[in-house]
Amino acid sequence: MNEKEKQVVLRHFISFYNKAELEIPSIERREFGIGNIKKIDARHLSFSSTSDFRSYLVSNTPMFVSHSTAYYRYPDATPIQKKVWEGADLVFDLDIHAEGKYGPYAYLDRVKEDAIRLVEEFLTSDFGISKKDITINFSGNRGYHIHVQDKNFQGIGSDERKEIVDYIMGTGLDYHAFFELDSERPNDRVNKGPKPDDGGYRGRFARSVVSVLEKDPKSISRVFSKEDTRKRLIDGINIGNWNSQPFKTNDFIGRLAPIAATLGLVSVNTDAGVTQDLSKLIRVPGSIHGDTGLVAKRVADINKFDPFSDAVIKTSETLKVKFVEDVPELTLLGERLGQFKKDDEKEMNKSVALFYVLKGSALIKE
Amino acid sequence: MAEDLDFAVRYPFSSEAKLALESRNLELNGSMIAAASERIKSSLKGGSGKSSAIHDEDKINEIASYAAARMLLSFLNNRFITNKFAVAESKRASGYLERDEESAIEKISSELSISVEKDGKNFLIIIPQYLMSSPRAVPYKLINREIHDGKVLINQHERVRLMEEAIRKRMEKVPLLKNAPPLIKDAAQKLISELPKEDLPQVKVKPGDYPPCVMKLLDSVKKHENLNHQARWYLCVYLMATGLADEGIISLYSNLPDFSERITKYQVEHARKKGYSVPSCATITTWGFCCANCRIGSPLNWQGKGGKG
Repeated sequence: MNEKEKQVVLRHFISFYNKAELEIPSIERREFGIGNIKKIDARHLSFSSTSDFRSYLVSNTPMFVSHSTAYYRYPDATPIQKKVWEGADLVFDLDIHAEGKYGPYAYLDRVKEDAIRLVEEFLTSDFGISKKDITINFSGNRGYHIHVQDKNFQGIGSDERKEIVDYIMGTGLDYHAFFELDSERPNDRVNKGPKPDDGGYRGRFARSVVSVLEKDPKSISRVFSKEDTRKRLIDGINIGNWNSQPFKTNDFIGRLAPIAATLGLVSVNTDAGVTQDLSKLIRVPGSIHGDTGLVAKRVADINKFDPFSDAVIKTSETLKVKFVEDVPELTLLGERLGQFKKDDEKEMNKSVALFYVLKGSALIKE
Repeated sequence: MAEDLDFAVRYPFSSEAKLALESRNLELNGSMIAAASERIKSSLKGGSGKSSAIHDEDKINEIASYAAARMLLSFLNNRFITNKFAVAESKRASGYLERDEESAIEKISSELSISVEKDGKNFLIIIPQYLMSSPRAVPYKLINREIHDGKVLINQHERVRLMEEAIRKRMEKVPLLKNAPPLIKDAAQKLISELPKEDLPQVKVKPGDYPPCVMKLLDSVKKHENLNHQARWYLCVYLMATGLADEGIISLYSNLPDFSERITKYQVEHARKKGYSVPSCATITTWGFCCANCRIGSPLNWQGKGGKG
C-alpha cells in the first residue's frame, strides 16, 4: 500500500468509526492493543469509556485493534503481573486454514456450521451456558470468534480452559469407557452402554452411531444393510442396550472408532492459544480488520449472517482499481465478482475495492 | 456449637481447627515446633500418619503442629518441601474423608467452595468447579464424563478425590513469612540440617539446549511443581528420544513433589518398552504446552542455541 492508498483507507475507516456501534462490556477493565504493521504493535493501552475509545480510533485509526479477553484492575499497568487479573471471558477462535490468500473463504460456511454447533450443542446444551452470555462475532477475515461472559467460567485458569478446548475438539476421548462390559462374559455382553439422550459425549456418540446405521450402515459392517438387523440394534441403542449385534463385543466397539473420531469440532484454532491464554488480545467486536476492511461484526442471527454482505462497510461511493494478481471468483455484497486477471481494471463499490487493495491484490487507479 | 476437636484433628487446615487454636490463645513453644518439624519430615518420607491423640491436650497439640508446620514452610519458602507437605497432608485428609460422615464431608467441601448436588447415590458438580479440582488423568478428562446441563456426574469416591486435589492446591500456597520469631528460624535451620544430605539432582540445562516447551517443563521440575500426567509423559518421551537414559529421567523426576521411585521407574520403563514417538508441535499445542512460535513442526527439529530449527 502506498501513501495515497493509505490515505484513502484511513479516511474510509475514520468515517466508519465516527458512527460505528462499539459496545464493549466492562471496557474500563480491559487492556487494548493496536497494530499497523503487525496485528499488535503496541499493547497495555486502556480506555475509560466508549467515547474515549471512539475518539482514539478516529484520531489515531490503527489498522487493527484488539482487547483483552481478561478483566484487570489496572489494565494499562506493566509488566502484566501488575495489572491484577480479575478473570477472563471464555473465547473461542474458529477458522480453517487453507492454501492461498482467498482459499479460506471457501470454508467460511463450514466454520459457520461449527460456530452453530459450538453454541447450540456444546456451550448451551452441554455446558449449561445461557445464550444471553454468548456472543458470536465475525473475525473480520476468515472465521468467527465466540465470546462467553458467564461468571462461573471467568475465574478458571489456563489448564481448565485447555480441558474445555479438548472437549470441544474431541481430543482425548476414550469412548470404550462408555461401555460397561459384563465381567463374566466380557466378549458377549455389554451391561450398560451409552444412550442417545445421555449428556455430553455419551449421547453425542450414541446419536452418531444411530445416524450412521441409518445412513451408511455398511461403513460399520455389511451385516447392517439388512433392515431388521439394523433396526434391532438401533432400537436397543435407544435404551442403552448394545447387544443386538453378531460380533464379539470388543470387535464391534472397535468398529465404531471412526465414528468416535468425528464427534468434535475441527475448526477450533488452537495455534494461537486464544482460549487458553489468559492475557490474550482479541479483535474488538465492531472494529475493522486491517487485512480486509471487513468489520468484526457482532452476529445477531448466525443462520442468516453473510460476512461478505453484512460485514462490508456500507457506502455508495465507488473506486477504480487495477489488479496486480489473479483473483478467484467471490460473491461480495450479493454480487458475483471475478475472477479477475492481473492488470484487469474495474470500478466497484469502494468497500469492495478496498478489500482487494488491503489484500494486496489490487492498486487504486487514478 | 460444641467444639469438635476430633474433626479439627482430622482436618487441621479447616476453619474449625483455626478456631480451636485461637480460642485457646496458645503461645508458640518448643514442643509445638518440634512436632511441626516431625510432621514436615514425615511428609517428606511420603506420608503423614493418622492421628493417635486421645486426650484433648494431645489433640490440640496435634492441630497446633499443623499450624506451626505451615509457619515453618512459610519461613523456609522452599517449593519442594511445601509441595511434598501438600501432597502428604491432602492424602491424609482424603483418607479421613473416604470414611467420614456426610456432615463432615459437607463442611470441608463448603470450605473448599466445592458445592455438589445429590443425584441418587451420585453427585452433580458444575463444570468450572469440576475443572478446577479434578486431577488431570484420562478418566477425569471432561470429555469422558457424563454431563447433564452444565454439571458433571461424579461418584462419592471421585468427590473425595476432587476435594483432595483442592486441598493440595490450597496447601501449595503459603504466605511469605518475613519477620519470623526466633523459634521458627532456629527450627527451620535445624530442619534443613536434618534433611537427608543427598541433594536432589540439579536440573542443569543451558538456555537453548531444548525447545521452549521442554525448557518450560524442565523449569517446572526445577521448581518442584506438580506436573500433570501428560506433561510428565511428554518430557519423558522427549528426553528419551534425545538420548537420556532411564536413570537420568528417574533422577530428574525425583524433583517432583509426589515422586515415588517405584511408580516412576515402572512408568519410564514402560514408556521405553512401548517406544512412543515424540508428539508433533500441533499435538503439543493442543495439550497446551506450546509457549513459543518456533515453527519447527516437531520438537525434535529443535537445533539449539535459541535459533530456529
